[in-house]
Amino acid sequence: MRWCLALLICCFLAAVNALSSSGSRLLAILEDTEQKDLYSTLWADLEARGYDVSIESSKSEQLALFKLGERAYDHLLIFPPKSKGLGPSLTPKHIVDFMNKDGNILLALSGKSATSSAISSLLLELDIHLSNDRSQVVVDHFNYDTLSAAEKHDVLVLQRPGPLRSDVKAFFDGEGVLALPRVAPQTLGDSALLSPILKAPATAYSYNPKEGTPAPEDILATGSQLNIISAMQARNSARFTVLGSVESLEDKWFSASVKTPSGKKTPTVNREFAKQLTAWAFKETGVLKVDKVEHRLITEGAELNPSIYRIKNETIYSIEISEYVYDKWVPFELPGDDALQLEFTMLSPFHRLNLEPVERTDSSTVFSTQFVTPDQHGIFSFRVNYKRPFLTAIEEKLEVTNRHFAHDEYPRSWAITGGWVWIAGLWSVIGGFLAFVVVWLYSAPVADKLKKTQ
Amino acid sequence: MHLWQATVPFCLLAAAALPGAAAAAWGFTDATVAVQSKGAGVNGGFKEKLTASKPLSKPVSLLGADTLRVTLTAQEDSSPKRADQAFLLLKDAQTGLDISYPFNIKDNGKSRVELTQKDLPIQFLSLSGPVDAHVVIGGFGSSDAYDSSVFKLSIDRNPGEAVPTVETERYGKKPEIHHIFKDSASSPPIVITLAFVAMVGAAFPALAGLWLFLGANVNHLPSAFKSAPLSHAVFLGSLISFEGIFFLYYTSWNLFKVLPAMAVVGVIAFVSGSRALGEVQGRRLAGLR
Repeated sequence: MRWCLALLICCFLAAVNALSSSGSRLLAILEDTEQKDLYSTLWADLEARGYDVSIESSKSEQLALFKLGERAYDHLLIFPPKSKGLGPSLTPKHIVDFMNKDGNILLALSGKSATSSAISSLLLELDIHLSNDRSQVVVDHFNYDTLSAAEKHDVLVLQRPGPLRSDVKAFFDGEGVLALPRVAPQTLGDSALLSPILKAPATAYSYNPKEGTPAPEDILATGSQLNIISAMQARNSARFTVLGSVESLEDKWFSASVKTPSGKKTPTVNREFAKQLTAWAFKETGVLKVDKVEHRLITEGAELNPSIYRIKNETIYSIEISEYVYDKWVPFELPGDDALQLEFTMLSPFHRLNLEPVERTDSSTVFSTQFVTPDQHGIFSFRVNYKRPFLTAIEEKLEVTNRHFAHDEYPRSWAITGGWVWIAGLWSVIGGFLAFVVVWLYSAPVADKLKKTQ
Repeated sequence: MHLWQATVPFCLLAAAALPGAAAAAWGFTDATVAVQSKGAGVNGGFKEKLTASKPLSKPVSLLGADTLRVTLTAQEDSSPKRADQAFLLLKDAQTGLDISYPFNIKDNGKSRVELTQKDLPIQFLSLSGPVDAHVVIGGFGSSDAYDSSVFKLSIDRNPGEAVPTVETERYGKKPEIHHIFKDSASSPPIVITLAFVAMVGAAFPALAGLWLFLGANVNHLPSAFKSAPLSHAVFLGSLISFEGIFFLYYTSWNLFKVLPAMAVVGVIAFVSGSRALGEVQGRRLAGLR
């Protein structure tokens, strides 16, 4: 009884706090926990959004990501370690296991010191590459902060990123400029799971401040190939976000003012952007949910979700989708050029149709389409496979049988004009038979007549 | 605010016009762009001077085996100097692609970069229009960096040469597919069907006419019905019933309705038929047929 009450109270508390769609336990790994005061605004903001933040040192003995085989935390925020690795409880394998169990990770890097080799090998697992010396910094002689980096040009001042493509939702856009001090750049492999969040401007390049200007052949990537913030969303929709500049999360930069060589002094929007970034990384935004899937014949009052259809049946399919935005589910809206597509497949799709929004409830949008089942019998499935950058994956598959016409469902022979000739032939044979029977039974011989003529 | 914005370009102009008066600026001088075709002599091929202030009016064409060479002398405030950043930046406004090629730069600012189509990423080879070639010169410190389009580079291919394309998988919408149905069965034009139906229908009157011509008649009908009225009527009736059952089977009945009806009518036909045929035999024996 008592635990029942406790559970109820827990549920109530969970409902009161606005929080991520996938849990509120956030573990922040700081090598030196003394440094946590540098980020006090970040902690306060996260706690205000309902996170249960625990800050641990990577050297801590009792630190464990898993407890009895289950995740002990929902999200992980890793600050760059100065030492070689993150300790025995945070090896790349542990971190990948954490992601495999749907845990989200935000990893911050810093160009101030060399990135540890453990982090580099973890990123390599995800096809995110750091430079070979792991100590490159992005500089741009056009978009730097003249107030804090007049000489070194390593504090980038950039606009918040717009949408990645015209068919991708923008989760990080808005007015104002970001200050990104000492960015450790990443380059991305060729994988659909990876997406850049913020790219360096075309005129930027990276170099190792300890070695001076690089020789042309040492430059791996320039301009927009250098990523300042990049993201990897695994197939299970677990998110791994890499932020190149840990300093941009510091209190100092949340409230700083910056000035580009050609601009005027403006306050940074780092704090707001940190909210957008952590919200996305910890699944407060860009999370989709399927509420209901329905398919039926188009006729009124047809059975819902039948297991069998006939070929050339006119069917209607609808799917209800919600999107999580910070603290509530709202109707999902497709980005401009994008389309939610339904496939009717047997091995390969026979139909691939765009689903149109037809109805909107308080928390969801109903997308629907109509089509005629193909003239091929077999086991088909209604399949919605909606995977997009920055959105959690939707994969809905409902299997149905598509059967032939039954013997009594074909058109009758009299309805086929080409068959009339045969039908007429049949009935004239029947008439002829009856006439023959009558003539054979009742005909008098005509032999007399023949004799007379002879 | 507006006033401030309006004065910025003016200030920049003034800064450019009066070096030293405002912040120092990077720039370049003695710049040339050359395209050397394979096999052509050292001085063969296209060569043009570049200016920092104005891009070339015509695009520079770079064919398959050609080498593009840009040379310049980097300057800070009109004095040659080694710049920290000296890039040839290729930019495509339409696709948003950009890539930089660093100049080989000496301490006296003399810089040079060479570029062939092999050095370009494959995405650049399939662009429709020419790309913007910028020269980017900048360095640490307070001097203003230089970034301006100096010419347009048209990446051409010999006609007939295949454009290499790159297939990368990205999550996004796919082309729609609409199943193409097989053509449904169709009948010939109704006129042709009716003509053949008329021909088939004409066969029955033709047969009847032929029989009548040969002397077919029903003269024995009254006598037959007089001697065995019931059996004849029932026999003929059962034959017609057979056809009726077949008709019902064709239109609505199933086999399980047809079989018992057939059994009943069959027995009736057998019994009445043997009586009726007995009467016919009687007529034969009487010499009437």
